[in-house]
Amino acid sequence: MTSGTLTPPRKERAAPDAPRPARRSRRKPFLAPYLFVAPFYVVFAAFGLYPLVFALQLSFTDWKGAGEANFIGLENYTYLLTSEEFWSSLGNSAVMWLLIVPLQIVGGLAAAVLLANAKLRLRGMFRVAFIAPFVTPLVAMAQVWIVAFDTDYGLVNHLFNSVGLPDVDWLQSTVWAKPTLALLFLWKTTGFAIIILLAGLQAVPGDVYEAAALDGASRKRQFWSLTLPLVRRSIAFLVVVQTLAVFQMFAEPFVVTQGGPYGSTTTGGLYLYNHILASDLGTGAANSFLLVLLVFALSLLSVRLLRSRDE
Amino acid sequence: MTSLMTSRTEKPGRSLSQPRPGPLQYLVLGLLALVFVYPIWWAVSSSLKPPTDIVRDPLSFSLGSATLDNYRAMFDDVPIGTGFVNTVLVVAVKGAMTMFFCPLAGYAFAKYRFPGKNLLFGVLMLTLMLPTLVLVIPLLLEMSQLGWVNTYQALILPGSIDAFSIFWMRQTIAAVPDELLDAGRVDGASEFGIFARIVMPVIRPGIAALGVLTAMNIYNDFVWPVVAVNDESHQTLQVVLSTLAQNVTGNRVGADFATVWGELLAAGSIAMLPVLALFVLLQRHFINGILAGSVKG
Repeated sequence: MTSGTLTPPRKERAAPDAPRPARRSRRKPFLAPYLFVAPFYVVFAAFGLYPLVFALQLSFTDWKGAGEANFIGLENYTYLLTSEEFWSSLGNSAVMWLLIVPLQIVGGLAAAVLLANAKLRLRGMFRVAFIAPFVTPLVAMAQVWIVAFDTDYGLVNHLFNSVGLPDVDWLQSTVWAKPTLALLFLWKTTGFAIIILLAGLQAVPGDVYEAAALDGASRKRQFWSLTLPLVRRSIAFLVVVQTLAVFQMFAEPFVVTQGGPYGSTTTGGLYLYNHILASDLGTGAANSFLLVLLVFALSLLSVRLLRSRDE
Repeated sequence: MTSLMTSRTEKPGRSLSQPRPGPLQYLVLGLLALVFVYPIWWAVSSSLKPPTDIVRDPLSFSLGSATLDNYRAMFDDVPIGTGFVNTVLVVAVKGAMTMFFCPLAGYAFAKYRFPGKNLLFGVLMLTLMLPTLVLVIPLLLEMSQLGWVNTYQALILPGSIDAFSIFWMRQTIAAVPDELLDAGRVDGASEFGIFARIVMPVIRPGIAALGVLTAMNIYNDFVWPVVAVNDESHQTLQVVLSTLAQNVTGNRVGADFATVWGELLAAGSIAMLPVLALFVLLQRHFINGILAGSVKG
């Protein structure tokens, strides 16, 4: 028990110890744990903290990547907050969010409920099929989208024509470009949502349902009163993660549409990247902080909303 | 913890109260599965077609007309081999760093009590919430200050030891019984020896899941590589691919149109192949890794 006094003297050992201390944590502090965690903090200080502080500083200057950097106070922030482009990038992201998140949660939950049935055959096969898109590289699939959704020669319009529907300007129209990219995002990440929800569903003990069934609760009632509250944590997690992802969305519009047509797919993430391309780094830094603030606020809000329900 | 999660996915909780799924359920799941898999199949099969066929009849596929022309053209047009080599190098080194340093730090947080631990852990958890987006610009500038633009260290070092993996490993290692570690101590093992010879072997399934998921993330990573690297000799596979895609959308008309599409699909297919093959072989580890992500919520 009293490891300190009973420790037999050992030479040059960084970790002398009693033969059987009752609890690891009673041991005297040594250098070892600090050495073990140090690499992370070194890497974080160099490639996380330093750039973060630098970015904050940068966001108050008019630096263009070369020459003098002048302190201009909040000018970058006020410029962005009054610029149409900034708001339109957020608006584009918001529309994407609406197209993606509700559909993904509802569809993912439906698929997960079907998959959670213990008597389902081929579950492993279905699961593999649903997650396969999640593991494919986004850039590769973005390329496939370019080809498949081409107006004149693409697969999708070919299918449309064969059932008598007219061509749709998927990637060249301001109306359809966003849904087409949202579809790519949905296709890519819904498998992830299904797996998370499935795990949430299967963590629900079976006897809870049996008790409910005995009490005469209908299947519908069981879903609304038992299943849904119990997977709320998984849903909350998904909403937060996907909100972060949608507002930072970058590779999809970057590869498929370059933000067009007429800026209709310039998402928050891509607009930020455009500042880098234009070497407008001060504004870019301010933009990233505004975007991060917004994403944080949205995450907090969604967690709050999902928590307040029947709790 | 990893084994716990496995059992959670493999062994459904409720059985008695559930009806046997009918044909409708199978139909819905089957159609959904088709929607998810079809684009992959379409991309790979189309990449084997003569370019003009991709344009003329995007649905058809017959083995008789299969050709590797698109792949040949792609290899001639973009440095995809270089991209592969660079990606493998980055995955290997960065992945190895994650798989060594993150469990090591996780071990310290799980099994030691030391002054400042709570503060250090708090900092770790805060960094979890730091979006990559805010770091891109200053990190790029830092790279140019260091003269690291277009270097492997720029691709590898940022994010090589990440907070999430440490947190995950801490949870995993917390489940290792203290008695096991004490036994090692009795046998005279050093603190590092206990980590390397007892902890690491015991948490092997967790390490495997970490490795698979990390490798996938690094292989598919795009935002940072596209910013940090602009010369061909250091581009990763995903950056090479995006360059090809931009050539197409920038120049959509002309006789080469169909040819470039063929190249595009060939490039996409060849990039998907390794990670899909790995996924089919190691799907349990993939799923455990994905699930570990939701535990933090």
